[in-house]
Amino acid sequence: MSEDIHVAFIGNPNCGKTTLFNAYTGAHLKVANWPGVTVEKKEGALKYHNNHYKLVDLPGIYSLTSYTMEEKLSRQYILEDEVDIIVDVVDASSLERNLYLALQLIELGKPLIIALNMMDVVEERGMDIDLHRLPEMLGVPVIPVSARKKRGLEILLHAVAHHNRRHGMDKIEHQHKNEREKKSSHQHRHHKNTVVVYDDWLEDKIDIVENALREKYGAINNLRWYALKLLAHDEEIMNKYPLDITTVAEKSYEKEIIKQKYDFIEEVIEEVLVHKDRESKNTDRIDSILTHRYFGIPIFLLTMAFIFFLTFTIGDFFQDWIVLGIDKVSDIIKNFLTYINVSPVLTSLLVDGAITGVGSILSFLPNIFILFLALAVLEDSGYMSRVAYVMDGIMGKVGLSGRAFIPLLLGFGCSVPAIMASRALENPRDRLKTILITPFMSCSARLPIYILIAGMFFGDNAMYAAFSMYVLGIVVAIALALIFSRIDKNKNTNTLLIELPEYKSPNAASIFIYAWEKVKSYLSKAGTTIFVASLLIWFILHFNMSGMVSDIGQSFGGFIGRVIAPILAPAGLDVWQIAVALLSGVAAKEVVVSSMSILYGVSDISSQMGMTNVVSKLSQIGFSQLNAYALMVFCLLYTPCVATLVTIRKETGRARWALFSVFFQLFVAWVAATIVYQVGSIFFR
Amino acid sequence: MVLSNGNINASYVVENINLANNIERRLEMLGMTTGVKVVILNKKHNGAIILKVRGTRFALGREITDGIEIGEYENE
Repeated sequence: MSEDIHVAFIGNPNCGKTTLFNAYTGAHLKVANWPGVTVEKKEGALKYHNNHYKLVDLPGIYSLTSYTMEEKLSRQYILEDEVDIIVDVVDASSLERNLYLALQLIELGKPLIIALNMMDVVEERGMDIDLHRLPEMLGVPVIPVSARKKRGLEILLHAVAHHNRRHGMDKIEHQHKNEREKKSSHQHRHHKNTVVVYDDWLEDKIDIVENALREKYGAINNLRWYALKLLAHDEEIMNKYPLDITTVAEKSYEKEIIKQKYDFIEEVIEEVLVHKDRESKNTDRIDSILTHRYFGIPIFLLTMAFIFFLTFTIGDFFQDWIVLGIDKVSDIIKNFLTYINVSPVLTSLLVDGAITGVGSILSFLPNIFILFLALAVLEDSGYMSRVAYVMDGIMGKVGLSGRAFIPLLLGFGCSVPAIMASRALENPRDRLKTILITPFMSCSARLPIYILIAGMFFGDNAMYAAFSMYVLGIVVAIALALIFSRIDKNKNTNTLLIELPEYKSPNAASIFIYAWEKVKSYLSKAGTTIFVASLLIWFILHFNMSGMVSDIGQSFGGFIGRVIAPILAPAGLDVWQIAVALLSGVAAKEVVVSSMSILYGVSDISSQMGMTNVVSKLSQIGFSQLNAYALMVFCLLYTPCVATLVTIRKETGRARWALFSVFFQLFVAWVAATIVYQVGSIFFR
Repeated sequence: MVLSNGNINASYVVENINLANNIERRLEMLGMTTGVKVVILNKKHNGAIILKVRGTRFALGREITDGIEIGEYENE
């Protein structure tokens, strides 16, 4: 059997790299983190014509420098790892900018193929790319593909199979002999073996550094690339190969190197791009509405309202079916366990603990799926980055860049990736502020809580009650950002810098794979964290020091709950069951729901019957709409789940920020819920 | 003139960039080199703009647009 061919996919953000990757791997990809950091690493495997391929999707980057973590990772991976071939995915509709990274990769000297993606877009616009001249000028194979329409995929694999063992640049030299020296305006002695040739004074410096490197470190592959990086004063490379270059480069020549690369790119574009003036006007037209200085914000709010409307209505429709299914399964298992004479304790553990707990969470799967689907559409269509621009004004007033709004928006899905997304913010203080306010955004795990509690107490107005939580989350997050920047004496640096990709209709496969990934992680959370938490809750509710108890009020849980409950009294939450549910929710926010179903002994808490059952129990102790609303507010704001806390610790590098979040959010939640309850009591009692 | 003073739908040439080194380099890597043509597509009260450079649209905040000197673009 032939050994695996390791293929690294690299490219600019928004170049369609992930769509291409997905087109090869389908949903069979492995998502993990890069060692030591929380940057996603996607891997897939594939067999084609007796060759086995291992594909790695690297993070989207604009350049091979070491300014961002993503750039560092990608660079290290392709420099040192066992990469047989690099596939640079280039957005043909934005060729000029994309060629910058391509040139850097060419300079790197590793086997490289350019996948010229989005050829369909180029054709639609009536533009043309000279597919003979482009590879000639770049000296590497260029394969036209359309990831969205699944065109050119096999040819690309074919190219990968044939070029991966090729070393160095022999082919490039060959092509240059024929074309370059005759036609290019770049007449230079280096043309035989390099694609980009810099001005003579810079080439002289490159020669000097190359010689010095060779003298000190012996044979290094891609010497020229290292020389260029040293001339650009690249920190990482300067540490890797310390060299005294003060005589040739007392200052960094990065600016000149970039400029001259773009000069070469202009030459390439001039020769290969036909009808380049035929740009898409569609994006400009849509942008004139969506990023309008007055309508921009209302349109965004309406979009979000529509998303939540879909989440609640369509989600609820499917939810009813799932609840029915879970009931059936629960009954069958219970009957089966009784039939085979399993002890009542074990039956109770399995049915009242595990199935009730996990089942209550599973019933919210459709809502969660729709929410993530909608977020994926926002991102894939190109709208998400516009939101950064639209919200830049408001965010600027609270001392953050509009870009910080993207992590907040992603926080509607899950705080963990949202906090990771804050990495795009350059300023460390802006980043810290964003990390600390992101968990206030209402994540999808809190959705079951609202659906359940609002459904129980607010009847027809349930959706509005739940929607108000999302608004409150944004308001609290932004208000806290304002307070943080008042405390933070440092002058804020509002450096919004974000690419606005062309609008495109979202790719169905991509968004389904994205949403499916989220659903899978939700399912695995139901099978692990929530399963264990349910068993634990069942245990503390059915046992005390003297053994198993029939009245859960006498259990460990009852005891713990009654200790905590009085603290929650000002917020109208002086109910020991709720105290226990809230405490358990730190494991994962959904656990509040699963715990409540175990606490109130209803296996189908999200069904109409289950809800009526719990409401009647709560009403007996005077728990009204107002208490319910205060509970929702508390759930929205209080201590983030363990996974979020771990992420905060990792991303800030300090445990104290995670600890700060624990107590700070608890405090904010208590204050907010108390205000709601106390002020509400004046009006509604 | 700096970028934040430019008009919507007008074309300009980047003459000079006066920003922190790392931001300046980032902008250049994205194609915003001196001498390049930019078109301002949209602008907000707070000085943030959307512009097009080398066929790509970017949104830039005031801190950045204030640091980019531009001149009139003359059509060949």
